[in-house]
Amino acid sequence: MSQGSKPLIQNTKCDCGHQNPTGTVLCEACGKPLTEEAEAQPILEMRYDGVARRSQKENPGIIDRVWNFFSSVKVAIYLILLTLVGSSLGTIFPQESTFLNIDPSVYYKEEYGQLGHIYYLLGLSHTYTSWWFVLLLVMIGASLVICSLDRVLPLYKALSRQRIPKHMSFLTRQKVVYQGQVQEDGADWVERIKPIIKKKGYRVRTDGGTLLAEKQRFSRWGPYVLHIGLIIFLLAVLGRNLPGLHMDEHMAFPQDEPVHIKNTSYYLLNDGFKVEFYTEDDMPEEFKGKNKVLPKEFQTQAILYMCEANCDDLDKEPQLVELTRHNIEVNHPLNYKGLKAYQFDYDLTPILRTVSPMLIDSKSGKEYGKITLSINDPQREYQAGEYTLTLTQSFTDFGLGDNGKPVNLSPNPNAPAFLFLIKGPDLPKEGVQYFYFPKQIDKERFNQEAINAQLAGGEALVKLDVLSMDDVDFSESTTYLNIRVDKAMPFIWVGCFIGMIGLIMGFYFTHRRIWLRIDNGTLTLGAHTNKNWFGLRKEISAILKQMNIEVDEKSLENNRGTKHESN
Amino acid sequence: MGKSKKSVQIVILLAIILIGVYAVATVVFGSDEVPKVGQKAADFELQGMDGNVHTMSEYEGKARVINFWGTYCPPCVREMPALQAQWEKWSSQGVEIIGINVGENKMTVENFVAQTGVKFPILMDPKRNAVASFGVGPMPTTFFVTASGKIDHIRIGELDLNTLDKQIEQLVNAK
Amino acid sequence: MNLIDFSGDAFIVAFTLYCVAFIMYALAVMGRRFRKRDPEAHLAKWGKIAFVTATIGLIGHLLYFFTRWAGSGHVPVSNMYEFMSFLSMAIMIAFLVLYFIYKKSLLGLFALPLAILIMAYAAVFPQQVQPLIPSLQSYWLGIHVTLAALGDAFFAVGFIAGLMHLLQTVNFSGTDKGARREQRWLELVMFAIVVLIGFILSVYSFRAGGYQAEFNQTLVDPKTENSTIVKVEYNMPPLIAPYQSETESMQSFLGMKSPLMEAPSWMHGVNAGRKLNTVVWSLVTGLILYGLLRLILRKPLAKFIQPALHRLDPDDLDEISYRAIAIGFPVFTLGGLIFAMIWAEIAWGRFWGWDPKEVWALITWLFYSVYLHLRLSRGWQGKYSSWLSVIGFIVVMFTLVGVNLIIAGLHSYAGTD
Repeated sequence: MSQGSKPLIQNTKCDCGHQNPTGTVLCEACGKPLTEEAEAQPILEMRYDGVARRSQKENPGIIDRVWNFFSSVKVAIYLILLTLVGSSLGTIFPQESTFLNIDPSVYYKEEYGQLGHIYYLLGLSHTYTSWWFVLLLVMIGASLVICSLDRVLPLYKALSRQRIPKHMSFLTRQKVVYQGQVQEDGADWVERIKPIIKKKGYRVRTDGGTLLAEKQRFSRWGPYVLHIGLIIFLLAVLGRNLPGLHMDEHMAFPQDEPVHIKNTSYYLLNDGFKVEFYTEDDMPEEFKGKNKVLPKEFQTQAILYMCEANCDDLDKEPQLVELTRHNIEVNHPLNYKGLKAYQFDYDLTPILRTVSPMLIDSKSGKEYGKITLSINDPQREYQAGEYTLTLTQSFTDFGLGDNGKPVNLSPNPNAPAFLFLIKGPDLPKEGVQYFYFPKQIDKERFNQEAINAQLAGGEALVKLDVLSMDDVDFSESTTYLNIRVDKAMPFIWVGCFIGMIGLIMGFYFTHRRIWLRIDNGTLTLGAHTNKNWFGLRKEISAILKQMNIEVDEKSLENNRGTKHESN
Repeated sequence: MGKSKKSVQIVILLAIILIGVYAVATVVFGSDEVPKVGQKAADFELQGMDGNVHTMSEYEGKARVINFWGTYCPPCVREMPALQAQWEKWSSQGVEIIGINVGENKMTVENFVAQTGVKFPILMDPKRNAVASFGVGPMPTTFFVTASGKIDHIRIGELDLNTLDKQIEQLVNAK
Repeated sequence: MNLIDFSGDAFIVAFTLYCVAFIMYALAVMGRRFRKRDPEAHLAKWGKIAFVTATIGLIGHLLYFFTRWAGSGHVPVSNMYEFMSFLSMAIMIAFLVLYFIYKKSLLGLFALPLAILIMAYAAVFPQQVQPLIPSLQSYWLGIHVTLAALGDAFFAVGFIAGLMHLLQTVNFSGTDKGARREQRWLELVMFAIVVLIGFILSVYSFRAGGYQAEFNQTLVDPKTENSTIVKVEYNMPPLIAPYQSETESMQSFLGMKSPLMEAPSWMHGVNAGRKLNTVVWSLVTGLILYGLLRLILRKPLAKFIQPALHRLDPDDLDEISYRAIAIGFPVFTLGGLIFAMIWAEIAWGRFWGWDPKEVWALITWLFYSVYLHLRLSRGWQGKYSSWLSVIGFIVVMFTLVGVNLIIAGLHSYAGTD
C-alpha cells in the first residue's frame, strides 16, 4: 500500500487546522480521511487510528529495506511456517541426541534403510541443532523485535493523543454505526447517557454534544508484551550456551563409590538404592501373568561432597567434605546451589568389589590364611599364612579367544579371573600356578578345577575358596543420574511469565471506543474495537436500550463495506 | 527525529547480527567441545608406566601418534607390533607414539607391555578422562597430531598397516 | 459398588445422554422437512431440550471424572482412555462456554458428535485403572494435562464452528474450478469423519463378536542378530499380519482363513502390523459406510447437511470459530507448553528435549499463532480462516493420537502397552 504520492506529502494540514505528520491517513484531531484511498474507503482503515508507521514513510535505503523486511507480518508468518515444517521433519526418525553413543553415518542406514541414510545426509538427524533451524529462530527473534518496535510507538502516539473526533465521516464510516433521532437537547442527552456508559466500565469524555468513551486500552499492548516475553525466552535459551551456565551429563554411580563430577569439584556418592515394585495384586487384570515388572517407586540415597585437597592428583585419594544429602527420586532431584541430580535409571546387577578367599589344603581342608583380593585394583603380592601368592595375570572379563587362548573381553568386571603363582611349604620350589574365578558361575563355565589340575600337572595341592558371604563385598546397585546445571533457567521462566501476561491482556480483554455526536436532534454513533465485534454490538445495543432506543444488534453492523459473499 | 531513529535501527540490526552469528556458531561448532580434525588436540594428564604424570605439553614440537587401546580389544592388540616398529623407525625424526590404555589397572598393562615388548610410552587412563576429552568412541582410535598440536587425522578402527608408514610421513611433513 | 465401577456407569450414562441430545438436535433441525407449522418455534423448542439433555450428560461426565479420581487416587488423565474421556468432556465444556457467549445452540448439533466420537474412541483402550509409573507421580500431571486438553478442546470447538461455516458457505451449485475444489476438499473432510466412525464401528463389532487371532512374530535385533519370538494378539480379522510372523490361531472371517498379506519389512515393530491392520479395516468400513450413505442420500454428505445450517449467519460462525481459538490459545500455551516445560524441568531435568510430543505441541502452537496473525489481514477472515481451523484440528489430533501411536518416545503414555 504505497502512500508516496507527491501531493499528500506536501499538504498534510487538515481542514480543521491541525498539522498532521507525513503519511497520516486520518486527521489526528478530527478524524477526517486525508488520503484519496482513505476517502474512498466505505469502512475506515483504523489501524493505529490512521497514524503513519515508520516503515511506510521515506524512500527506503538498505537499512530501511532490511528493517521493513523484518517488520512485515507476512514475513513473520512465513518464518513461523518454515519453523513449523522444519520441526515436523525432525520427528520422522529419532534424533541423534536421543542416543548415547551411535555412529550416525551408519546407524540411520542400518535401521531405516536408504530413506534413513538420506535423512542423515540432509542433516535432519540433528534438525534442532542445525544451522538453518537456529537461523530461523534468530530471524523470528529479529522479527519479534522489529515488528514490535515498529508498531508500538505509532500505537502509543495514536492512542494517547486522542481527541474527540468531530468529523462526521469518521463516525459514519466505522464498522459499528448507528444513526437515529433524538428528542432533547444534544448536550443534555449526552449528559444522560454518560453515567450509563460509565457503568459499563468506560472512561467518558464529553464536549457539548459530542462524546468519546474508551475502556481497556491496555489490551492493545497485549501482543507486544507477549513478544517481549518471547524475546526474553529466546535470549535466555541462547544464553545457556555461555560457558559455566549449562551442563547435562548422564553418569553412573556404583554403590559406595564417590564419583567425581567433571568440571566441578563435586563428588557424589550412591549411599544405597531402594526400589519397590508393584506386586501381582496391585496390577490390573490385563497385566497379570504377563511377567510385567512395573516399578512403583525408586530412589537413590545420595551424598554430595566437595573436594578439599588432592583433587587433581592422580596418585592420591581426594579429600572430601560432605555438603548435603538427599534421597533422589524421579520428580525430586537433589539441588545444591544450582547443581541438580535427577534420577534417570538404575541397575541392580551386583558388581563384585573385593573377595576374601581362604587358601585351603585340597586334601586335608586345612585353612592356611585369607587374602583380600580387590577386583578392580588388585595387588601383586599376597600372604596367606606361610604361603605367598603372586598375581601374575588378571582379567576383568575372562573369555577364550578365537584360538582358544585366554583373552580379556572388556574392561567391565563381568567375569573377573586371576592367575596366581603360589609358593610355600610342600609346594614345588618354582611355585605352582593357580587360576581363580571369584564368581561361581565362571568357575563352572570355565571348569576351574580342570584348569588348575592341568596347571599343577595333576591334582592341585592348594585351592582358594570363599568360605562365607561375609567374605564377599559387592556393590548392590548402580544408579544412573542426570547431572545438570542450568543457570539461565530463571530467565526462561521470566520470559514465559511475561508472555502469558501478554496473552491474557490481548485475548481476554478488548479495547473498545464509542464516539457520538448530536446535531440538531440527529444522533450519530460510531464504535471500534480490536476484537470481538459481536460483544461490542451487544453492549451498545444494551446501552441504547437504556436510553429507550431499541435497536437490533445486527443492524449496528455497517454494511457499506464489501461484505462476505453469501449464497 | 529521523536521525536518532535511524541510529536506533542500525544499533538494533547490528545487535541482531551479532547475536545471530553467535547463536549459529555455537550450534555449528559447539557439539561437546570434542576436538575435530584441524582443531587443536585436547590436553591430557595421565600416569605413565614409570609412575610419573605426563601431559600433552611434554610432547610439544614432536609429531604425535596417540593410540587409545585396551587388552580387551583384539584389533588394538593386533596393531601393537606395527606401532612398535613405526616408533623405532620414526622416533629419530621427532615422532612420538603414545599409547593410552583405557580403563584397566596397572598390573594388566604392565603384563601386556612385558609380554609384547612394547617400548613406546604407555599412559594409563583408568577413569576415562582422556577418553572424554578426546571424544573417543569405539576402540582402537588413533589421533595423528602435528608438531604444533593440531589434529591432522583421526582413525577410528584398526590401523591400515600398509598406509601407516605413509600417514606418519605425511604427519611429519604437515608440521 | 465401588467408586471405579460407579464412574464407569456414569461414563455410559453421559455417553447415552449425549447421543440422545444429538438425536434431538437433528430432530430440531429437520423441523422444516416434517412441515411443522412453525419451524422457528420447533427449532427453538427442540434445540432447548437438546441443550438441556447435553448439559445433564455433561454432569454425568463430570461425575465419571471425579469419582474415578477419588477411586484411583490420581487425576484420571494418565493413559489414553482417561485422557480421551477427559478431552471429550473438555470439548463439551468449551461448547458450553461458547454457547453462553453467543447463544447459538445449533453449535451443539456438531459439537455433540465430536464429543461422542472421542468418547467412543476413548473406550477402545483398556479401561482398568493402571498404577502410575514413578515419572507420572506428581501433581503436575493434573495441571499440565488437563489445561492442555482444555486448550485443545477450545481448538476443537473452533474446528466445529469453522466446519459449520464451510458447510454453510461452500457453493454446491458452483461449477468453476475454485468452487469444485472447495466442494471436493469439504467432502474429503466428511469422508475422513466417516472413516473415523468406521474405525469405531469395526472395533466394537469385532469386540462384540469376540474375535481373536494370534501370531508368533520373530523379532531380530539388527545389532546382535539375536532373534526373539513374541506373541501378538489381534482383535480384528487379520487382513495384514505382522511382519515375519506365523499364524498361531485365527478364527475364520467371511471365508478368509489366513491373513491376506504381511506388513512391509520396515514396519517391524511389535505392534506395527496390528495398527496397520486396524487402519486398513477403518478405511474399508469407512468406504463401505460412505458408499451406502451416498447411495441413500444421492448427494455429497456436505451438500446434504448444508440446509440444516441455513438459519445461521456465517459471519457469526466465523466469529465463534475465531473466538474459540482466541480463548483456547492462552490456555493451550499455559497448559500445553509452559506447564509442560516446568514439569519436564522438574522430572527430567531439561525443560525441552525436542521429544516428538513436545515438538508437535510446539507445532500446534506455531500453527495457531499463524492463524491468529493471518486473521489480522482482512482477506483471511471467512472461508480461509475456517479451512485453517480444520487443518489446525488435524494437527491437534496428530499431536494427541498420531505421535503416541506412530512415533514412539519418552512421552508415549498410551498405557503400558
